Amino acid sequence: MKESLLDIVCCPVDKSELELEDAERDEGEVVDGRLVCTECGEAYPVEDGIPNLLPPDMREEA
Amino acid sequence: MGILEDKARARLFYKYLSKVYDTINPLVWNEQMRTEALEWFDPQPDDRILDVGAGTGFATEGLLEYVEEVYALDQSVHQMERAFQKFGRRGPVKYVRGDAERLPFAADAFDKTWSSGSIEYWPNPVAALRELRRVTKPGGTVLVVGPDEPHTGVFQRLADAIMLFYGTEEADEMFDAAGFVDVEHHVQQAKPGSPRAITTVARVPDADADVSGVAAATTESEPVDTAAD
Repeated sequence: MKESLLDIVCCPVDKSELELEDAERDEGEVVDGRLVCTECGEAYPVEDGIPNLLPPDMREEA
Repeated sequence: MGILEDKARARLFYKYLSKVYDTINPLVWNEQMRTEALEWFDPQPDDRILDVGAGTGFATEGLLEYVEEVYALDQSVHQMERAFQKFGRRGPVKYVRGDAERLPFAADAFDKTWSSGSIEYWPNPVAALRELRRVTKPGGTVLVVGPDEPHTGVFQRLADAIMLFYGTEEADEMFDAAGFVDVEHHVQQAKPGSPRAITTVARVPDADADVSGVAAATTESEPVDTAAD
């Protein structure tokens, strides 16, 4: 994902803004890291460059 | 309507269905129908567009004939793998894994929102339609392709058992309940005898009118599912 995606993504649960943490970058792309909700603190993983913003109760099995 | 209460069951079912999906999909929704729907959707070059339930990227591919970038949301990374093969991982398609009923996008983030072949898997379609409205700018277009209610054979049994099919009246109810205006339905069919698709084009109200409470007042008979969003 591009870091600019942060402008439009939000927490799927409470719709608050997300902050990027522990980012690993490659040629301008975020390939690994966590998107952390500034309100509820839930951390959403960036997996192989794809942000996984499934709500926590759907994350494991989908 | 066979609305699923249980999302886990929906996902399990989807895993099985995805194996045959590309086989049955062309019967319901082919390139010619996509072209027609794209004309109704009318994407402009500068539009920021979201494709909800983008899956293998069939619609995304059509959208990319109009715009340079498309945001593609899907639950399943297995479905996305095929899109990666078509468009690359870092190309014109911006992938996000997420749930249609709880979209991970800010309000008014998109000029237009598209969803084809996905609504039949949403346990609560009205909740998801409200989310489509929320993330689309006022005045923006939302287009949803779903399966028309089948009347015979295996599709009818599937419909009764597990999937959501709907006619234009139910579609009207759902889009009204979700707060859309200027709602139009087009029934599309690949050829006589094929399963038909309903393509709905609707608009997000211009003003920031609060229409989310409309559903409760308008469901006299056979209420649509309006569980909390």
